Amino acid sequence: MSGSLHAIPSARHGGNPLLRLIGLLSRICGIVAALMIVAAVVITCQMIFVRFVLNGSTIWQTEGVTYIVIAATMLGLPYVQYLRGHVNVDLLPLMLPPGLRRVLAVVVMLATLAVSGGMLWYGYEFWHEAWDWGETSNSPWNPKLWVPYLALPVGFGLYTLQVAADFFAMMTGIEKPFGLSEDATLTETHAADAASERAD
Amino acid sequence: MDPLTLGALVAVLTIAVLFSGISVAAGLLVVSAGFLIVFDGMSSLSLIPEIFFGKLDNFALLSIPMFIIMGAAIASTRAGADLYEALERWLTRIPGGLVVSNLGACALFAAMSGSSPATCAAIGKMGIPEMRKRGYPDGVAAGSIAAGGTLGILIPPSVTMIVYGIATETSIGRLFLAGVVPGLMLVGLFMVWSLWSTWRSGQASVLSAGSYSWRERMEILPRVLPFVAIIIGVLYAMYGGIATPSETAAVGALLCLLIAVVIYKLWDPRAIWVILRDSTKESVMILFIIAAAGVFSYMLSSLFITQAIAEWIGTLDVNRWVLMGTINVFLIIAGFFLPPVAVILMAAPILLPIITTAGFDPIWFAVVLTINMEIGLISPPVGLNLYVINGIAPDISLRTILVGSLPFVACMVVAIVLLCLFPGLATWLPDLVMGVAI
Amino acid sequence: AELRLSHQFSESDLRHKVAQMVADEVAAADVDLDIKIFPTQSLFKAREQYKPLARGQVDMIVFPLAYAGGLRNPYNLTLMPGLVKNHDHAARLNDSEFMDEIESILNEDDVMTLVHGYLAGGFAGTEECITAPDDVQGKQTRAAGKAFEQMLAGAGASIASMSSAEIYNAMQTGVLDAANTSSSSFVSYRIYEQVACFTPAGEYALWFMYQPMLMNKSTFEGLTEEQQQALLDASAKAEAYYLEEAKAQDTNAREVFAENGVEIAEMTEEEFNAWQTIAKETAYKAFLEGSPDGQRLLDLALSVE
Ligand code: NA
Ligand code: NA
Repeated sequence: MSGSLHAIPSARHGGNPLLRLIGLLSRICGIVAALMIVAAVVITCQMIFVRFVLNGSTIWQTEGVTYIVIAATMLGLPYVQYLRGHVNVDLLPLMLPPGLRRVLAVVVMLATLAVSGGMLWYGYEFWHEAWDWGETSNSPWNPKLWVPYLALPVGFGLYTLQVAADFFAMMTGIEKPFGLSEDATLTETHAADAASERAD
Repeated sequence: MDPLTLGALVAVLTIAVLFSGISVAAGLLVVSAGFLIVFDGMSSLSLIPEIFFGKLDNFALLSIPMFIIMGAAIASTRAGADLYEALERWLTRIPGGLVVSNLGACALFAAMSGSSPATCAAIGKMGIPEMRKRGYPDGVAAGSIAAGGTLGILIPPSVTMIVYGIATETSIGRLFLAGVVPGLMLVGLFMVWSLWSTWRSGQASVLSAGSYSWRERMEILPRVLPFVAIIIGVLYAMYGGIATPSETAAVGALLCLLIAVVIYKLWDPRAIWVILRDSTKESVMILFIIAAAGVFSYMLSSLFITQAIAEWIGTLDVNRWVLMGTINVFLIIAGFFLPPVAVILMAAPILLPIITTAGFDPIWFAVVLTINMEIGLISPPVGLNLYVINGIAPDISLRTILVGSLPFVACMVVAIVLLCLFPGLATWLPDLVMGVAI
Repeated sequence: AELRLSHQFSESDLRHKVAQMVADEVAAADVDLDIKIFPTQSLFKAREQYKPLARGQVDMIVFPLAYAGGLRNPYNLTLMPGLVKNHDHAARLNDSEFMDEIESILNEDDVMTLVHGYLAGGFAGTEECITAPDDVQGKQTRAAGKAFEQMLAGAGASIASMSSAEIYNAMQTGVLDAANTSSSSFVSYRIYEQVACFTPAGEYALWFMYQPMLMNKSTFEGLTEEQQQALLDASAKAEAYYLEEAKAQDTNAREVFAENGVEIAEMTEEEFNAWQTIAKETAYKAFLEGSPDGQRLLDLALSVE
């Protein structure tokens, strides 16, 4: 919420072309997600207009908008990871000496990868099952559910990619563990500095 | 293992995992998946995407990004400065008037933004440098904005009220109304404290320096009109039979974007992108936590932990106010470490049956819960508003901000006590507008 | 052994009482079988219970079967306007060849029925009575279920989709002019405070929804013979109770609305037929488009006297 174009932290690539590409992909996802949220705003306003001014039926809007926001959330995952926007509690990392902090960072990133990879795998099954059954939402609009469900494997796939890129960046020294500078400790200034890096 | 012991184990492990520095949403998924594998078997993992998607599959949730856009759009224009300046011109003669006008600006801005960090940023960008320039101590400047910003989730619209409404199946329109009077009361308490502390510091004469002519005071009023128009428009849409609260959010977001572009001439696509980027970032962060917390609460329910805790507390036979006090302490502690949305989603399914059995009103409790969450927003280690202040004024130390916001935390505690003594503060307005609750 | 039962209803709801009755009876039979009930969507969201049941991730559910109409189109016939005329007709339908067909589809998904049951509902209008299709012309209307939305749209109503919990506020603020939902929802959400006229489920009623208690078939077959018998006995007892109470709910709704000064309107046979004509052109037609075997099933259902 700092409101300026440059003040916001993001994933470092250290010149690595692959990391650069993954970062670009995450940024594109972010743009698409933001545009989808705008689309949701416009469609909802259109629905109110149809109902309140034209006194007409609104068949698809409520459902469509819900799926659009879900898709925006899923596509937003890699982008928010790229912007370091997923909020966390960095009390313990700050209390640890650099060596242990690095070990903890490896564990945390592997756990995050396990979660996103798992969500990708089971999300794919979830999508595939809806595809297989030909499942529809059973509303008057009645769309095929594999379309909105697709957001899950795609979003978590791209999220996994960005987390993997961050993991690689940390292992090769491009990025510091938890994005904390070596001498960051629990003393107040550093705590505030570190905090400012990942939430606003 | 008996569900209560299991519950204690879940609590300990959740705290351990979240303290590791993993993101809150991923941490909740790790804990949930772990317990589901051990106690329900590997096959239960295939349920997680369904529950994750199901949590997000709710039209009311879409109002979260929209109420955030409202705040972000206005925050990126001169509007915050206008509002701030208008209040200042009118309140400048009062000792400590600048703090009072900042708090007033926060309260007004909160009526347009569903998020606390957004409110904090919008007013703080202008208010903190100005207060420091005029000789207010850093702690007062930063603390008042940090605390004033928390009003964003108490005064409607409110992202956390939406989440509470969804989690407990209570009316969001009613919840919004319930926050109005307590919000005004809280900002009143903040102001009284500010005036009294300025007067006590003996610097009253210095801090009230500067005066404006009546002409200057009248001149600025038209510039506040867009604000008033948005607030009235949104309220009319919401309670005038045009749209449900969730739909109204879209009207508000569109209105704010249009006002930013048309009235404040925000033509630069990059500036508009900043609004969208910041809103997307905050919304996605919140929605990811919501979905992950949904999986977490499924795990708690599937292992019968939620039900066992509710039953256990039911058998305790303690005084209902002792119970309420304990719940508040628990919420404040949870609020230290977790963002409000996560606390509400994890606590609501467990607490709601306990609350209603003990004879408390769920709408009233939403307000008490929200004020607890406001305390969490300005307490370390995870205090979203602290991060915002740090972004605006990096040279003010965390300790100074904390000490500066302490009196405001005290005001919040007083507000909770007042709400306990006079529950009508929360329930009167919704009952008046929407009829007595079902 | 322990069985987990999920449903979406509150603990004061009839459908919870039916589940509780089965649980209590089975416990009393002392066959080492314990049914743990997860009410109020505390395990799964209302519409997301069928697949976990089919996979055996939950053992039993009390479930409006039409919710799974997106997975199995024939289930949509269990919430089709005009297909069921009253509770006694519904009871005959439960024993019919039509329900045998539904059962065999359930069996394909490894699901079986323990307790049959239908609940009825009516219509309410904030200003005028809703009995004939002409009455909904141009009105913002909330309907319970896809088929009813299609039928009402066919009659010229504007459809606003929302949950039954939102009806009260929507009527109060004027977003909504008319609503269709179950008798128990009409009472529990105090809709009588907002409407001028109520058309309860009477001699001719349009809205009947099949809401059986279902069980995972493999789980059932994995039980001992005594356990299976105890479950079946409990279910038979619960089914009789369910039918009696379902009738009582309609009477209760009628009384509560009348006591609160709401005008009570009755649907005539002629009006019922007019609705059914529209339903045939809209809801039935849409149903048939989605199902090759639909016509046969529809004819089976319509053949029940
Ligand atoms: Na607000
Ligand atoms: Na905190």
